[in-house]
Amino acid sequence: MSSASFNYIRAAELTDALARGERAGAAYLAGGTDLLPLWKASLTAPQDVIDISHLPLATIIRAGDTLSIGAMARLSDIAAHAEVKAHYPLVCDAILASASGQVRNVATMGGNLLQRTRCPYFRDAGLACNKRDPGSGCGTRHGENRHAVLFGGSPGCVATHPSDLAVALAALDARIVVSSDSGERELALSELYPLPGETTAPDSSLRPGEMITAIRMLNAARFSNHATYLKIRDRASFEFAVVSVAAALRIEDSVIAEARLAAGGVAPLPWRLEKSEAALIGRAPTEHAFAEAGALAIEGARPLEGNAFKIPLLRNAVIRALQTAGGHS
Amino acid sequence: MKNRTIARYEGTLKVTGQARYEGEMMPEGLLHAALVESPIACGELQSLDASRAAALPGFATLVSHEDAASLKPSAATALIREKAIHFHGQPVALVAATTLSEAREAAKATQASIAARTALTQMDQALDQAYEPAMVGRFPAATRRGDSAKALSEAGLVVRRRYTTTVNNHHPMEPHAVVCWWEGNKAVVHTCTQAIFATRAIIAHAFEMPPVDIRVLSRYLGGGFGCKGQLWWPWMFWAMLASRKTNRPVRLELSRAQMFTLVGRRQETAQDLALGFVDGRLTAIEHDVVAQTSTHAEFSDSTAVYTRFLYACPNVTTRHSLVRTNEPQPVPMRAPGTAPGTFALESAMDEAAELLGVDPLELRLDNFADHDQENGRPWSSNSLRECYRVGAERFGWAERRARSAAKDGRWKIGFGMATTLYPAIRQACRARVALRADGSLLVQCGTQDMGSGTYTALGQIAADALGLPMDKITVELGDTELPDGPFSGGSQVTASIFPAVEAATAKLRASLAGLATTDATSSLGGKPPEDLEFADGMIRSRSGNAGERLTDVLARAAADGLEADGESPATDHQQLAATGMGYGAIFVEIGVDAALGEIRVRRVCGAFAAGRILNPLLAKSQYIGGLIGGIGMALHEQTVTDAATGSILGKSFTDYLIPVHADMPAFDIAMIDEDDPHLPGGVKGIGMLGTAGIQAAIANAVYDAIGKRIRKLPIRIEDCL
Ligand SMILES: Cc1cc2nc3c(=O)[nH]c(=O)nc-3n(C[C@H](O)[C@H](O)[C@H](O)COP(=O)(O)OP(=O)(O)OC[C@H]3O[C@@H](n4cnc5c(N)ncnc54)[C@H](O)[C@@H]3O)c2cc1C
Ligand code: SF4
Repeated sequence: MSSASFNYIRAAELTDALARGERAGAAYLAGGTDLLPLWKASLTAPQDVIDISHLPLATIIRAGDTLSIGAMARLSDIAAHAEVKAHYPLVCDAILASASGQVRNVATMGGNLLQRTRCPYFRDAGLACNKRDPGSGCGTRHGENRHAVLFGGSPGCVATHPSDLAVALAALDARIVVSSDSGERELALSELYPLPGETTAPDSSLRPGEMITAIRMLNAARFSNHATYLKIRDRASFEFAVVSVAAALRIEDSVIAEARLAAGGVAPLPWRLEKSEAALIGRAPTEHAFAEAGALAIEGARPLEGNAFKIPLLRNAVIRALQTAGGHS
Repeated sequence: MKNRTIARYEGTLKVTGQARYEGEMMPEGLLHAALVESPIACGELQSLDASRAAALPGFATLVSHEDAASLKPSAATALIREKAIHFHGQPVALVAATTLSEAREAAKATQASIAARTALTQMDQALDQAYEPAMVGRFPAATRRGDSAKALSEAGLVVRRRYTTTVNNHHPMEPHAVVCWWEGNKAVVHTCTQAIFATRAIIAHAFEMPPVDIRVLSRYLGGGFGCKGQLWWPWMFWAMLASRKTNRPVRLELSRAQMFTLVGRRQETAQDLALGFVDGRLTAIEHDVVAQTSTHAEFSDSTAVYTRFLYACPNVTTRHSLVRTNEPQPVPMRAPGTAPGTFALESAMDEAAELLGVDPLELRLDNFADHDQENGRPWSSNSLRECYRVGAERFGWAERRARSAAKDGRWKIGFGMATTLYPAIRQACRARVALRADGSLLVQCGTQDMGSGTYTALGQIAADALGLPMDKITVELGDTELPDGPFSGGSQVTASIFPAVEAATAKLRASLAGLATTDATSSLGGKPPEDLEFADGMIRSRSGNAGERLTDVLARAAADGLEADGESPATDHQQLAATGMGYGAIFVEIGVDAALGEIRVRRVCGAFAAGRILNPLLAKSQYIGGLIGGIGMALHEQTVTDAATGSILGKSFTDYLIPVHADMPAFDIAMIDEDDPHLPGGVKGIGMLGTAGIQAAIANAVYDAIGKRIRKLPIRIEDCL
């Protein structure tokens, strides 16, 4: 079969999808907003495209202090969901900062986490890219690299993960529920995204045929009063983040009891700023504390020729996000 | 001629989908075409192997330089006749197949073997090889009045700076397309072009056939901005050759990615500017421009040309030079020359105002040129000072000191202003009007409507001349069967069609008046023709209580209706007694988040003087569209070449940023009506005016907000941090 065609298979039910998804050359189709453009540009050539968009995996369940969101839920439905808005505003903010209304109406939660990098070398079949074509080299490293990572890169790949939602979920310690023919497993969001190697850069740690079925958050509503998603970009809308920061605080008696900070646009995965988080604990939410957290956020940053500006930008973004999240509500 | 707001003639057709764009033609037996592209930026094609492609389903034919060898050599056929590879993505063949996806598969399966040579992929790799072109558009490349070197050495203040602008692509909504077929020895070519007659002429030249045997149609265009011109022709020729070879209609449509490489770009510039002042008056200007062109063709924008005109200054030296790179070829793009050129000049003026301690607006007024100093002649009209005054007042420029660096939440506020200018030019034009017995009027002119309102303007000019309502008017354009009309470019279509349609309608009025006044049975019989006016579908006497319906006159004396042709010449620039130039003053308020580097344009006021405005609604939309394009150039648009491969990076709208709705400021457009006795109809062009000036106004406002002088475009986050 030529790369211009694929078998379209509408999975009858989950088990059917999982059985088919395991075979070589199979790809799941959720909203299709990333898969189909990649296919059209000859960047991926699945043989079997298994449509899972209609599977009954779009429910939102709040049980006790656990929130579970089905992987097939549409981004716009989650952003408009009253309970998610009330208790997990960070998730809604990140979604509403993503793509456009039209894309969000189609795109799914699971698909969003597994969308592939926007690195322009990756997205052009004619250019060298280890992620697309292991061993072919990395066009970005010595080429145009304004978009590249500050943290977690390798000589083989310096691409960022593009999802805004993932950054918010990372800050909230979300867990990912994954199903396959052999059962279900749960992993931390950070475990979903491997760091790049010397000549390879896999997008996820999922095994062939594994499907994300749900996203789970435990006791994450405790940050609802002090959370914000800050996204910085060149135009006001409809652009991926140059740098973004998800900040979530729990403030008790005017003291920061817990802090969560994750950055987007700077690493192959949502980058948790653990040192900054630690420095905030037990402190009053003051400018001074925020500035210190900002300074710690950029420790260990390793810029390339074209992206050093992201270092002060990240620092300032962390400070700004903390100012917003730490304000009274 | 009245100044009237009239909604788009073709608006309903477009929003209801009835307007058929040329790429939508689907004749029977149509073959679809796709291009095989070179994966390297410099070299020589050795061979093409289509054996795999030919075995694929639907494959019909492949055309390459070998087929194009039958075409007559010219600049328009060089790229497809020769084997040299000049840029990454250059097509080496066209494949036609039954369906589009089959054509694409066949193109992918076609193997090109190319001997690579070292490519030069960036202008600054070869600045030492810069050379001076003979001309920049219709202007000389280098000029000198007075002695700027001496004046600079004697100046009290010298501002000497380098400004750079990046590559932009035009990106009209509608991609280039052709649907073509042969009827015996005759060719029918449906294609999106800004110039149907030039397209017909070049086909006639390339295929060595009489122009009358070629019909080119371009009735609706989804924008052009300068890229629907000569760079499209080679690929259109290949489609025509494929059609001739297969004896079937062939359709080729470019992809969005191909529109980054195949149909032109705004060229990159590095501009060195020196301004010398004595007591706040300009005594010297030097403006040196280096810009990119390709290795297969030459183009230079008239970047420094506007520096010769804008200010009063006795000593002015301007130079243009070009560097050849293995990158796509530049062509004019909206506000060619004046957009990048005024960015440099109007930024430098702002820097000078700061150093002189005067208001930037005052500095401009102090240095106003009251005549064309380059050519030593008067302006045909010049209301620039009125633009400054009206714009400043509406915008509230006087509050600048109080507002500057004020804060609105996270935004630091900045005010900036700059000047825009564009010459009034005109092409030769012919038009025909035909009044039918039922009182309806057909207006025909072989020009194009790029979406800017030419249908409406043609209809409106004729309707007003004959006193008919718009619903009686039918307009036909975009077809070489019609009288020769102007190409769409240089903001000159309205100025060009106006005198031709006026001439045609004047003849028609004279015929009608003659029929009425020489007829004893008419109530107008015996009236002098000067006494007659045309209004509301009637001919009326101004002096007496007499009148007649046009339809009655026709029924009696010209049952088949009446026709008339009109014609007008192009501007002869040598013979002009006065220089025609349109002007504008742009005022902007921006917000800069200094910690995060984000810039948002909050408010724009443009005050423009461009002769007589026929239709304020169309004019306003042209100005706003221009300003939006200018905002894109200032803050968003940037085409990047990968230095290693010469490939353009991010060939999609996800990566090539253009302003979106959320980036839109509040627009306030002021139009200053001018009575220009020198220009036929008093009409100047407006399309380009809005696109220039705003880049410098934004850069100047950034400086006002955060004290950072940014001398490059686009201005990005990293520049403001
Ligand atoms: C123009 C544009 C702008 C955008 N801007 C942004 C932005 O600013 N921020 C942002 O975060 N995103 C942005 N996006 C990305 C968009 O959010 C993603 O394309 C979308 O979320 C993907 O979801 P989908 O359901 O359409 O995935 P699909 O395209 O269907 O799938 C994406 C990938 O995930 C796999 N997959 C899908 N679902 C599952 C599952 N449940 N289990 C296992 N594998 C699965 C598919 O096989 C495929 O490989 C933008 C997209 C576009 C087109
Ligand atoms: S950064 Fe990664 S994705 Fe980009 S070119 Fe290099 S290997 Fe490919």
